[in-house]
Amino acid sequence: MITPLPIDVPAVPSPAAPGQPARSYWQQATARLRRNRIGVASGVVLLFFVLVALTSPLLAAIFTHTDPRSIDLLNTFLPPLSPHHILGTDDLGRDELTRMFYGAQVSMGIGFLAVGVSLTIGAGVGLVAGYYGGLIDGLLMRFVDIILAVPAIFLFILMSILFKPNTITLALIIASVGWGSIARLVRGEVLSVRTRDFMVATSSLGASDLRLILRHLLPNVLHVLIVFGSLYLGQVVLIEAALDFLGLGISPATPSWGNMLTNSETFFFHSSWLVIWPGLTIFITVLAANLFGNAIRDAFDPRLR
Amino acid sequence: MLAKYLLRRVLATIPVVIGVTLITFMLMHVTAGSYIPGVDLNPNLKPEDVEAIKRYLGLDRPLYIQYITWLAGITHGDFGRSMIDGSLVSSHIFDRLPATLELTVTAILIGILISIPLGITGALRRGSKIDHALTAMSVGGFAIPAFWLGLLLILVFSVQFEAWGLPFLPSGGVITPGTGGGDLLDRLVHLIMPATVLSFVYLSIWSRFTRSSMLEVLSQDYVRTARAKGMSERRVVYLHALRNAVIPLVTLVGLELPALVSGALVVEVVFSWPGIGKLLYERALQTDYTTVLGITTFAALLVVGGNLLADVLYALLDPRIRYA
Amino acid sequence: MAAPLLELHDLKTQFFTPEGVVKAVDGVSLELHAGETLGIVGESGSGKSVTALSVMRLQRPGKIVGGEVRFKGRDLTKLSEVEMREIRGQEIAMIFQDPMTSLNPVFRTGWQVGEPVRLHQGWDKTRALGVAVSMLNKVGIPAPEKRARDYPHQFSGGMRQRAMIAMGLTTTPKVLIADEPTTALDVTIQAQILDLLRQVNREFGTATILITHNLGVVAGMCERVMVMYAGRIVESGPTVDVFAHPKHPYTWSLLRSIPRLDEERHEPLKPIEGLPPDLINLPSGCAFHPRCSFKMERCSRDVPALTRVGDTQFAACWVTQSGVELKGA
Repeated sequence: MITPLPIDVPAVPSPAAPGQPARSYWQQATARLRRNRIGVASGVVLLFFVLVALTSPLLAAIFTHTDPRSIDLLNTFLPPLSPHHILGTDDLGRDELTRMFYGAQVSMGIGFLAVGVSLTIGAGVGLVAGYYGGLIDGLLMRFVDIILAVPAIFLFILMSILFKPNTITLALIIASVGWGSIARLVRGEVLSVRTRDFMVATSSLGASDLRLILRHLLPNVLHVLIVFGSLYLGQVVLIEAALDFLGLGISPATPSWGNMLTNSETFFFHSSWLVIWPGLTIFITVLAANLFGNAIRDAFDPRLR
Repeated sequence: MLAKYLLRRVLATIPVVIGVTLITFMLMHVTAGSYIPGVDLNPNLKPEDVEAIKRYLGLDRPLYIQYITWLAGITHGDFGRSMIDGSLVSSHIFDRLPATLELTVTAILIGILISIPLGITGALRRGSKIDHALTAMSVGGFAIPAFWLGLLLILVFSVQFEAWGLPFLPSGGVITPGTGGGDLLDRLVHLIMPATVLSFVYLSIWSRFTRSSMLEVLSQDYVRTARAKGMSERRVVYLHALRNAVIPLVTLVGLELPALVSGALVVEVVFSWPGIGKLLYERALQTDYTTVLGITTFAALLVVGGNLLADVLYALLDPRIRYA
Repeated sequence: MAAPLLELHDLKTQFFTPEGVVKAVDGVSLELHAGETLGIVGESGSGKSVTALSVMRLQRPGKIVGGEVRFKGRDLTKLSEVEMREIRGQEIAMIFQDPMTSLNPVFRTGWQVGEPVRLHQGWDKTRALGVAVSMLNKVGIPAPEKRARDYPHQFSGGMRQRAMIAMGLTTTPKVLIADEPTTALDVTIQAQILDLLRQVNREFGTATILITHNLGVVAGMCERVMVMYAGRIVESGPTVDVFAHPKHPYTWSLLRSIPRLDEERHEPLKPIEGLPPDLINLPSGCAFHPRCSFKMERCSRDVPALTRVGDTQFAACWVTQSGVELKGA
């Protein structure tokens, strides 16, 4: 019997496609993103809403000539396409379109702020927990478990009645739970990246912990943060709108797409259009955020389709 | 092997339970503190009486003793008393829990029953028009605000249908007032809209997830082996592939079990559904901190328990965990 | 000689990709007789696995675009899917490279091993399990009754592969196709599995096709060997002869590239120059000519056909067909 020799027929890996310069990871991702038409379109939509939020007083001055709080009890529930009120008026005679413009400020403002804070805190905790491991990791993750055990919406309602939030505090309230999932996600990524050779090599060169974390770990988990961030934006907008709807979010005097729907059942019979506009805008915004988030995710890792 | 795995999981939940109860206790102390219901309303109470009541209620004990009492109470199912009317939080929970469960369990069942076929269809007909349509619906469904969807459904199926003289769905409540709740059809008719709204989000996520899980499984080597054994494609898909594809879905569904109690809050409010979420909402509007915190503690403990349950389910379904 | 059990005539299987048409199998003909052991050797991308999958009609998403696969006289490429299913697993069985991923992780091993007889011969669970256990025993798995109740992940690599072999044999098929059965295993286990395959071939008389990229495996196991390159067969013949005096430059270079224990240590290694061909844009003429140290002018123009060179061997090479001996430093 001849002992089989473990000699393999050589197979050389195929060379890179000729004629194409090597591109960095980020450049490739951006290029893929730009080619994704749905992604670009949803990005544009998001940008549109951000612009509306930033320029609402200007838009109101140009298009509707009123401000969102001026009450006109003689002209309540005007239907759309009434003179001076393209989208009609609400139960207090306030112009719908103007309130929609200003509503963008609340949604976009709270959305981006909450996402930003969550990502920062979550990434920080995740990086530290994943990098140091051991007791620190255990403690931090238990803490995250506790935060995530409490149902978010209950917590938001509780804090809302405690603090009577404005835009900024509401964003912070929402972020106070959101960072937990991000921390877990980042920690997971860190754990998988940490043991890779380049990390061992860099630390053997004498790099400090902080340097390793910020200069080497962070860039590798950044793509996770970006994808999650854009998907989370949609969630925040939905949560915030729901809280406003319940009357437990932003103060009802400030127009927001959510609180424009509070108690709207009372005027279902005669002015049902008032239900449509704010909800539709929320839907479109969240849809755009989700689609954009998907596009980013596909741009970073097309294999996941 | 299963027992050891479960024991480890149970032990891991203990610090979380302590943490949750500690936080809610501290919040209660900060907000309600030594608040005694009814004290402000009774002008005849002398300071000594108030002190006596305080001692009776144990509010003069050191903090850590109060915490232990709180914890001990929880193990007996006592989640405190309302600071508005002194009623037992646990009796409120007991009253309202069935309604919430009725809603959420139905929504989850609808979610599972519809997601799996939709996901399989999307996977088997990948890239077809049907697949694109299903994906579009999923993405859309995930972006719709639940309360808005609820309002729209009420607008159409209750208000407009009635205006048009069609048989219409009731806009709220569990049963038609006065009927005593025995009529199954009546209950069903009240249940259908809120359950549908609630299941919408589940459907969007789960059907897409089933699809991708199925696609991944279908590309596995053991599926190729199954085909090489000469079985029908139906058997390959529905026995060999599906059995593997649903495992991650179970984890996902399991993640919803904890939200069984809290997830329906908005829907309950929109449809005037007398569940726990609506209860918390009502009490919050009255700044009844203790009730709100009591319910929150209860819900948090359910989350912890639900996570454990999900782990058990997963272990049961995936032999690799059991016999690791 | 009796009629061959399995015959491939000019089989062509192609994959239609956005980058172009991949000619994975480009005119393969072979014969397999009852009880024979045939080895198919080639590097990754040579088309050997796709050939096997095409026989089983499992080549999706590829398409069989030409040629015939005759099994016991019937052309398998013309059969309906239902008819083909009766062949798969029952008359022709196939086992795959990685037994960990090739066995379903959520079903017990005994159940999986017994599945073919339940499917094809309608046996009930108990009887099928009985056969499964006895087959597990036959392939050398100790305590088979207990092991049958275990899940695949509870087996070691070698045991899993034995279980896969058992799974392929319960229906006593006429042909067993083993696609890289030892590649994912340790060297010592490899030897055991090859022993097992040899034993199975002797005891059951199953004709075996062994697909591998490892020349050593073929040397120990197969009576005849075929060498594939770029979707075509470039050489075939009895293993002993092919290894002793290869008649195709590719085979010759392969054998030369294996380092030998009895060579001088300072001798440089002799790899094959160049890269494997792009299957979408095959070179003109002989697919190997860009890398061949013997090439003639004709080689870049005309595709050589597989013709008899010498008493027992066939080669697709203009050079050797014109009588040139393959020799070199």
